[in-house]
Parts: sequence; C-alpha cells; structure tokens
Amino acid sequence: MSAPDKPQFSEARLAEIDALAARYPSRKSALMPVLYMAQQDFGYLSMDTQKMVAEVLGLRLMEVREVVTFYTMFKEQPTGKYLLEVCTNASCMVNGADALYAHMKNTLGIEPGQITEDGLFSINEVECAGACAGAPVVQVNNMYHEKATATDMDALISRIRAGEVI
Amino acid sequence: MTVLYINDEEVTVPAGTSILEACRENNVEVPYFCYHPELSVAANCRMCLVEVEGWNKPAASCCTPVSEGMKVVTQSAGLEKDRSMMMEYLLIHHPLDCPVCDQGGACKLQDYAVEHGVGRGRYTEVKRLPSDKDLGPFVNTCMTRCIHCTRCVRFADEIAGTGDMGVLNRGDHMKIDGIVEDALASELSGNLGDICPVGALLDKPSHDVSRPWEMTRHKSTCTACPQGCDIVIESRADEVMRIRPLKGGVEPWICDRGRYVYDAFRSDKRILSPMLRVGDKLEKASWDDAIEKAVTMLKGKRVGIVFSPDWSVEGLAAIRLLHDIGLENPKVAFDLHRRDSRPFAFDEGLTMTTESMEQVDQVVILGSDLRQRFPILMQRLRKRANLGKPVTRIGAMHYRTNSEIANDALVRPRDWYAVIARAMDQLKVLGKTAAGMDEWMGKVEARHEAGKLLADALLADTCALLVGEEIRSHEDAAALIHGLDLLMRAAGHAEEGQDGRNLLPSGMNAQLLSAMFNGTRTAAGEVFAAAIAGELDTLLLIGSDPIGDGLFSRKAKEALAKVDLLQVGSISGDMVGLADIKLPAAAYSEIEGTFINMEGRVRVAENPLRSLGEGRPLWKVMMRLIQALGHDVPAVNLTEMREHVLTMAPDFTALKDIWFAGKAQEDFIPAQRNRKNVFLPNVAKMNAAKGLDVVGRYSMYKEGAWVRASKLLAEAGRIHALDDVIVHPDTLAEMKLQAGDLTIMSNVGAERFTVGTRTDVSPGVVFVSKRGTAGDISGETSVDLGGGQ
Ligand code: SF4
Ligand code: SF4
Ligand code: FES
Ligand code: FES
Repeated sequence: MSAPDKPQFSEARLAEIDALAARYPSRKSALMPVLYMAQQDFGYLSMDTQKMVAEVLGLRLMEVREVVTFYTMFKEQPTGKYLLEVCTNASCMVNGADALYAHMKNTLGIEPGQITEDGLFSINEVECAGACAGAPVVQVNNMYHEKATATDMDALISRIRAGEVI
Repeated sequence: MTVLYINDEEVTVPAGTSILEACRENNVEVPYFCYHPELSVAANCRMCLVEVEGWNKPAASCCTPVSEGMKVVTQSAGLEKDRSMMMEYLLIHHPLDCPVCDQGGACKLQDYAVEHGVGRGRYTEVKRLPSDKDLGPFVNTCMTRCIHCTRCVRFADEIAGTGDMGVLNRGDHMKIDGIVEDALASELSGNLGDICPVGALLDKPSHDVSRPWEMTRHKSTCTACPQGCDIVIESRADEVMRIRPLKGGVEPWICDRGRYVYDAFRSDKRILSPMLRVGDKLEKASWDDAIEKAVTMLKGKRVGIVFSPDWSVEGLAAIRLLHDIGLENPKVAFDLHRRDSRPFAFDEGLTMTTESMEQVDQVVILGSDLRQRFPILMQRLRKRANLGKPVTRIGAMHYRTNSEIANDALVRPRDWYAVIARAMDQLKVLGKTAAGMDEWMGKVEARHEAGKLLADALLADTCALLVGEEIRSHEDAAALIHGLDLLMRAAGHAEEGQDGRNLLPSGMNAQLLSAMFNGTRTAAGEVFAAAIAGELDTLLLIGSDPIGDGLFSRKAKEALAKVDLLQVGSISGDMVGLADIKLPAAAYSEIEGTFINMEGRVRVAENPLRSLGEGRPLWKVMMRLIQALGHDVPAVNLTEMREHVLTMAPDFTALKDIWFAGKAQEDFIPAQRNRKNVFLPNVAKMNAAKGLDVVGRYSMYKEGAWVRASKLLAEAGRIHALDDVIVHPDTLAEMKLQAGDLTIMSNVGAERFTVGTRTDVSPGVVFVSKRGTAGDISGETSVDLGGGQ
C-alpha cells in the first residue's frame, strides 16, 4: 500500500471519520484515531497525508504536526510491510534484548530507518512495550511476540519471506 | 478585591489575579520567562517560583491565583537555590553566545544568569543542536538559544491567529518550528522578535547591525496609518535602526508596515536638499535660490494645493496659513481617497477607542479590508471575537481576516442604498425612526437583504459601526453616510456616551482637517481636473503622492503634464522626473510636533532626530514661503504655530490643555458632525453607471510613499502580493466570458488585462489591485468587460 501522489481517504473512510467525530464535543478531537486510520491506509504519515488530515478535521497543519511528532507510534517515514519493534527497556534488556536486536539487524542487514530490499521489513528499538512479564518483547506491526529468541525471530522472518501472511 | 501580603506588605488586587501579576502591579520583582501579559498562561519555565506561607513547596506565581490573606515571599534562601537550579536547567543547552547575540544587553536570560545563575554548569553530555528556520524577511532565528517558553507559539495562535508556529517532538527532542511558505502569514510577525525573551527569534532587518546599548531611543508616533501607534524609534547617530512598540503604550503590538518602513528614511527617494530643474534635470540648489524660484511659481499664479494628512498638526496649520495669507484663492485638497468632498453627517474619526470596541455588544464593519488597512484595529476585533462577541461584516469581498466573522454578506458598491433602506424598513416596523428617515428611504426603491444583518446588529443595546473605504470613497458618500446616521439615530446609537458612529479615515489628523478645511476643501480629483482644463498654473504638492496613491492617479498624471509642479516633502514618491522644484521638509522622525490618531488621541513628539539632509520642519518651510511671497510671518516658533491651530479649531480644547497647561490628555478630539445638511441618495446616477462596479484593493506593504520607498516592505509586498484583477466566476459566466485576457472598458478607454476569478467576492464587481498591472483602473467607479479580442 504505497501512498498515491495526493493521498485521499476513501468515501467509506470519510463516513467512518464523520461517525467517529460525532462522538466528541469538537471534531478536532478525533485527530489521534484519524491519524491511525491514515497510517493504516497510506502506510505512513507523509506531509501530504498530514495536510489532508488537517483539512478533513478542520485543524491547522501545525496542530497535526505537533501531535504526529509527539508520539513515536506515528510514522513520518515509510516502513517495510512488517515493522519489527524490539523493546530494549529494563526488563527486556536484562532478558537479552540488546543481543536479540543486534542479531535481528544482522539477519535483515538493515539499520533503523531502512527497509529491506524486498520491501518487507523495517526494524526499530522501542521503550517499554508494557508487556514486561513476557520480556524480551518484539512487536511485529500490531502483534506482540513475547519471550522472543533469536531462533523464533529467524523463523518468523523466513516464514514472512516465504509469503506467509501473519 | 483580594487582600494579600507580598513580602509582608499588604496589597489589594482584583480577585483572580495571579500572584505574578499582583507582584508586577506592586513593583515587586519576580523573574519570569514564559509569562506575557497579552498571552495565555503556559507556566512552563518555572522561573517565577515564589513561596506561600503554609504551602510545602514553592508555587509558580504566574499560574497561581491570589487568595484572601495569602502571604507571599519572593526572596528567600530557598527560592534563590530554586532559581539557580532553574537557570542551570535552562542553560544546559544554551550556547555561550552573548557576545555575538543581538539580544545581548537586553536579554532576560542574560540578566537572570547574572542575578540567579551559578556561573558553572555541571552538564557534560552532548548538547542539542536544533537547526534554524527561514521564517521570511522579518524574523531571524537562532534556535540553539531557544528556552522553549512557547511565547512565540502562543503569539501565533492567539494574537496573529495564523497558528504557524508550533512545538514538535517531546522531551529532550522538543523543538520550536514554523510552517511557512515564504514568510510567516501574519502582518504582525515583527513582534515575534520582541516577545522572544532570549535571542532565538530576532529582528532580521536589524540583525547584526547594532547593539542595544549603542542606540538612543525616543518616543514617537507611527503615521503609516491612522491608528497612529505609539512607537519607540531606536537610532544611532541620527539613523533609525529599528522601530518598536512603546512598552505600556495603548496597543501592545505594532504592525510590520509601521515597523519596517524605517529603511525609507535613508532611501534614495528622500528629498534631502532643495532641488531646481535645469533643463530636464533636477540639480541641487541653495534654499535661497529655491525659495526665490518657488515664489515665481506661486505669486499671482492660479495654484492648486494637494497635501498629505500625515504631517504634524503644526505643519497642517502652516499649510492653512500659506493658503490663507500667501496665495490667492488656491484650490486645496488633501484626501486622495475621497471622491465626495461634501461634509459627512459623521465625518472621519472614531467616537470610541479601539479598546472599547472589545466591549460593545455588536460591531459592524461596512465595506473595509480592515486587516490590510487597520491591522491593529483588526487585532482588537479579533480579541473581541475570541471572547465570543460577534462581528458582522458587509462588503464587496470576504476580505481575508484572521478572525471569526459571525455574519458576512457580500454587496456591490451600488447596493449600499438598498442595504441601508432595507435596514431602515426593519427599524421602522419596530417603531424606531429618526426625522428625515422617510424622505431618505423614499428615494430608494430597491432593498438588499444584507440590510437585515445591519438592522439586527443595530437592535443590540450597544453597537459600533466601522464605516470603511467602500463607503467613504463612494461617489455619493455623503448621502450614504447621511443614511447611516439616520439609522444610528433611529436605533439610539448616536447619543453622547454610546455614540457608535465611526468613519475610518485614510490618514492621520482627520478630525482636525475636517474642522480646519470645512468649506474650503475640494476633492483631489477636482484639483487635477482644473489643472487639466487649464484653470491652474501651478500644483503645490506637499507630501502628497497622487500618482502613487489614491483614486486619481490617472488624472494626476495628466494634470502634472500640464502645469508646473512645486513639491514640498520628505520623500519623492512616484513623481519621478515631474517636479520643477523640490523643497525638503523633515520626516516624522525628525520633527517636534503633534499628531492626532483616528481615535482622537493626541501625541506630541519631542526630542527628534536631526534631519538627515537640509530638511526643515514643514511649518518653517511654509513660513519661509509666506515671507518670500511678501507677507508678515504669522508664526516664528512652535508655540505661535500652536496658537494659530487653536484659532483655526477653537473647539479642540484638548490640544490647548496638552500644549499650554502641560496636562495629560483627558478628552479625545471629537470627530466632526454635520447635522445641518441633508444629502439624499442619487440613485439615478448609480443606475446610469457602467455594468460592473470597481473596488480598488490596497496592500499594506505597497500603499504610501514612505512604504514604497522601503525595500524591506517591498519584499513583503512581493511575498504577500494581491491578485491584479479578479471577478466572481458567475460574473464572467453571465457575460459568456472566460478568465484570462479580457478588455476592460472604462471612461478613459479600453485596455486589456489578465482577469482572474475568486468565489469569495461579490458578483458584479471588478476588483483591481491599486499597485497591480491595472492599477490606474482602480480609480474608476464602474467599467464594462469585453472579450479578449
Ligand atoms: S523561540 Fe523564543 S519565544 Fe519561542 S519558545 Fe523559544 S525562547 Fe520562547
Ligand atoms: S497599525 Fe498603523 S500606526 Fe500602527 S504600526 Fe501599523 S502602520 Fe503604524
Ligand atoms: S521493558 Fe520491554 S516490555 Fe517492558
Ligand atoms: S513565568 Fe511562571 S512558569 Fe514561566
């Protein structure tokens, strides 16, 4: 799902946004969920996408930018189809997250901010994912993989490369 | 009211005041960065900590309201430690830049570092390095110096209303950013440099030019628009380096037009010495030779005078003296934006202060591009709108504003009669009427629905009308204003104390001029027409630039080709190559003199700079001419000049009190009222007009000879350019025409121009930018449009 030249929400999406916005006292308040929708539809939040969101909600571009840059889970850069987010915060760190992170980067041959050549993967280090009981944690798009090991992750990567959708 | 104790002193402040404001009001020093009296409270710098008895930790005074009996301490060992820690935090990422920073010497951070800082930081990690931004021609950035007080962000949101500054990222990555195309979108952008407490945002034009302590400062009045803002002129060796708003002045901000006009003071358009035409060239001459030659152009000659209203009161009175004593029956005009010189029922000037416009229930703007023409007044209305109070607007275009307009209706200039008549109908049904209203209404058959908005607003308890240029420049302005006067009287808004009749003037000192030249003035157009008809020998232009400004450029050009031109002024304007003699008069920064703004506020400028050339104050030039023409000089000093002013305008007692009793101003100079004359609509003339009305558009960065001589403003004018010629697409569709090259047929012939379209304008109107390709047409009242061929 790569972004077209001028991003545009589908009619269905716009209807969904209207319904959502009606739940708030002011339309502007729907910003966060609408940004998630935009991220889902267009892969990441390009400047054009942010402009469109601002227009749809009657916000200033700066107001949208302030929210987008405040939260790390809004992406301003394109990522691979699967974004691997490795938690390296305290609990995960003591359970070997750093080595796992290094291993995964090595397997994929990319650094944060890059995309593998097949367009499938990007990788990132994140702060506590809120699942310390399962440390170390790797989040793959919206899915948590707890007690992750290098072997698990290699297997996961191979399965995705083989065309399995997870 | 709340009584509290600050450092054991009992003070009383209004309930709800913050501790910081209570301290400021009582001259107790509390350090602060993010607080600003005109902005919302952000409470993010934590510099304003104070102790409150009984509280177990210090309180941020800017966001803590006072309470009864509260005991506040602003100095203690604990606070000293807190403040030094805050300073250490703020300085963690701040460069040691003071020696090369323009803010140095006038910087809160620097001052507090000296007062509260520890001199040595313990931070040894990597410093952040945010990159600088290009915010346009007026604001320079050095973002490493930013302390994240967010004053600039709040300014852009709350004051400018453009919201183009913001905070990106968070925590240690936080940075201030601007979203700008070529420049910040605000006409108040220059204020950013003033409100940034450190050297992160600085004035760009004066960047790296001089240090605060090298400059001398004197109070003055901006004459770049009738608002007449209080300014401080910062100069070095008689050269103006910067213009800033006066702290504690009436308005907290000044606009970019008034702030950056100063490079015109030293532009090559200045008239710095007497000049005489020799062949087809102007050459420098001595005052004596020039005056002698000037006399030959004036003595026994048929003279037309056109002068600028922006001279000081004393200068204007001197022009009147020359008119009365020195010349024989000259024709005189001063307003380049007024076609109708009949006295108006309520003449130019406001009856209210701009401040009081925040309070009234209803404000109605009639035909004015207020943001371009009166940016600071617009700012007041914006403040009002932010409080949820309505502003209604009726005019030819939804002129872009930065403010909420509650009701907005489009009308053509020829519809004004019908708008007013419609409002009269509505008031009459409710039994509200005024003597003469029936007669006025009887002259108008048509009714325009926009009149309902007007009438609705008039029904409020208090209502202010702001009558703008679309009405003031109307050919039948006296009748329209008479109609509005009737409406206001019928609605009870004409009584003393709640008089809401405000006619926006086009220059300074309007109240004085309409009193001083009542019955004497003609329309500028008539002066030029007389010259064209061969009824004049000489035109005496005193500071007026009729080619560059106003509605009569075309006529002025034609007139100046026919008669001799004697130009007196500080700046040449667009009259290049036309004058036969030029006499230099000192600029407004270079004189002692008095100015009256549109509210009727009086300002006396003292301690002027020395004139950059051989310019003399205008009143002296006029006296010299009177003398050379063989008459006794009526005044030899400023005091005598002022006595003449009081003879000419005996009602203006406020001037007397200020000049001769040394009093502060109490009463505002009133706008003139002319109740004797009845002016009824001349609808027939309107109906005979050509198919489309013309509305001239004004750019704040291009109008006025001073402004045009400023390179700084020229740059802003380029960035914020107005469209040359626009019409509503329906207007073209009806005529089966398409946007593009079209023929505009006016009284002076047919010419082709590129015509664009915009949907937020009234159909049936052609909008012509005064300084655009079709500029000369902006002075026409109606035109026809034809196909491209
Ligand atoms: S740029 Fe200046 S005004 Fe803006 S946040 Fe930084 S220090 Fe404050
Ligand atoms: S609003 Fe008018 S008087 Fe005030 S600074 Fe601007 S141009 Fe000057
Ligand atoms: S530290 Fe990794 S999930 Fe909490
Ligand atoms: S002034 Fe109070 S926190 Fe900044």
